[in-house]
Amino acid sequence: MGSYHLGRHLKILEFALSSMLRRRTKNLGLVLVFAALVFLLSSIVFLTGALRTEALATLEASPQLLVQRAMAGRHALIPLDYGELIARLPGVGSVTPRYWGYYYDIYTGANYTLLGIGDQGLESPGSTPLRLVEGSFIMPGQRRVCLIGEGVARVRGTRIGGMVSLRDARGWMQEYEVIGLFASPSRLLTNDLILLPEADLKAHFGMPDDRATDLMVEVYNPHEVDNISRKILERLPDARPISHAEIQRTYETLFNWRGGLLLAMFLGAMAAFMILAWDKATGLSADERREIGILKAIGWETSDILELKLWEGAALALVAFLAGVTAGYAHVQRFGSELLMPVLEGWSTLFPAIDLAPQLDPYALGVLFSLTVVPYIVATVVPSWKAAITDPDRVMRAS
Amino acid sequence: MSREMITLENVTRVYNQGRPNEVRPVDEVSLDIGHGEILVLKGPSGSGKTSLLALIGCMIRPTSGRILVAGRDVAKLPERFLTGVRRDTFGFVFQQLHLIPGISVLENVMLPLYPLEIGFTAAKRRALELIEQLGLAHRKGFKVEALSGGERQRVAIARALINAPQAILADEPTAHLDAGLSGELMQIFETLRGQGKTVVIATHDPLVHDSPLIDRVATMRDGRILDGDG
Repeated sequence: MGSYHLGRHLKILEFALSSMLRRRTKNLGLVLVFAALVFLLSSIVFLTGALRTEALATLEASPQLLVQRAMAGRHALIPLDYGELIARLPGVGSVTPRYWGYYYDIYTGANYTLLGIGDQGLESPGSTPLRLVEGSFIMPGQRRVCLIGEGVARVRGTRIGGMVSLRDARGWMQEYEVIGLFASPSRLLTNDLILLPEADLKAHFGMPDDRATDLMVEVYNPHEVDNISRKILERLPDARPISHAEIQRTYETLFNWRGGLLLAMFLGAMAAFMILAWDKATGLSADERREIGILKAIGWETSDILELKLWEGAALALVAFLAGVTAGYAHVQRFGSELLMPVLEGWSTLFPAIDLAPQLDPYALGVLFSLTVVPYIVATVVPSWKAAITDPDRVMRAS
Repeated sequence: MSREMITLENVTRVYNQGRPNEVRPVDEVSLDIGHGEILVLKGPSGSGKTSLLALIGCMIRPTSGRILVAGRDVAKLPERFLTGVRRDTFGFVFQQLHLIPGISVLENVMLPLYPLEIGFTAAKRRALELIEQLGLAHRKGFKVEALSGGERQRVAIARALINAPQAILADEPTAHLDAGLSGELMQIFETLRGQGKTVVIATHDPLVHDSPLIDRVATMRDGRILDGDG
């Protein structure tokens, strides 16, 4: 009995596939339009997921608390004696000044981040999550050298022993010998970051000796971070403490597809809706209505016809969804989101080229599925249901 | 239990009731149809034959009156049960045949069995038997649009018989057939009667209603059966 019951569904499925083949031109057109829509939406989801993952990867080894100084609402260099005051707060383990800045390279049109490496080297708390793949680290006291990411090396066409030329704050070209190449979980870092000895970096940017870019604060008890932030603000009103969690939340919001690119998602969903509205408005063709009438007349129940239409809608929507998602993944993974990158104008002009690894977020894919496949199936079934509940005699006479 | 297979009591069907364009294709019709009988509903176009056939076959419901199938009033049955009665009791041969183009003869014949609890192999075996009986074995894989008019007619009959119905309802079955094929069709109906099946034919073709194979003729005009015919 069970196999008979299954056989009933299989027979209806078989007829559904056969019906789709009979209307192959119309169905192929629908699959193409549907897949193109899903391709657009999934590209957005994959791209934002990749950007978010990149951003969060840069945070992995960031300090629990970062203290900057704000002047007129802008980030300003922070006095080192602020660090001495913060270090005396109960619960603070250590305070380490960090020296870094942005460098716009007019030759490659890219914006690099220059980070100073002190005598503690890369192993100090809060240093970047970098892994040396070739060459050596910067040794204490070493000058006029640099470490670059694999992406920077590729863009600038240089390797170990090569030179990186950077124009300093006085307008003079300074050359740094590449002594090491690093990799990182984040491709943003390897494409953007140049590490210099701390003294070279301060000289390069013309930073005063008593100032740093910001301060990395290690807190003994992570639950006390907010409390220590409050105390810092009480003592240093122009300081801006930023916790790891706050940065993470900002990145989440900035790169989450529900946030920054929600508008694009919305437009895509609107396009989906228009297609579905068109499909619904046009309703069933005379042939389809007639066929439903025939099926009813020869003994099919309304539920059988709904199952038939459900299979048809599901098969079409699933094929289109899988094709669209696969194409979207390939678009981001293999072709660097070429169609979407121009939308992110700021990123593409400020940063060197980035190869992003798309992230398969099951929740995002689930939402995408719900926004596309489910409405399509409903839109397919509703007019069929309307035809199926009509007397078969009427359906056939109407056609 | 009634000895009649189908009984209609004062059956009326009204479209657009109460509006200026109200029509009554079937008006106060009472009719008894016995088991194993060949009944012809005769009348000019628009006399209500097709509507009466649709009422008998439970494809539409009467606006008033009762329809008894094997003694059971089906007029007010819920849709699901009505479909069950239609499927288990009647086989339809439509005037336009209403075969589904693009699929084979075999698939067209099997179609009524698809939603039933019967395995694919058994369904196929039954369809092939009918196709063989109706002389279409050599055409079983053909798409229906590739067949001649007479062959299509036989496909429609095979499809009507696949559920082993007690009654065959045929609407103008000879409309697209020449005299020779019409004669063959009547022979098929005669064979079905021999198997104990009831056959109701709506037609205005003299070759059918004047055929000696017919048991009874009911003449319709303006939605009514003329006195003495019921």
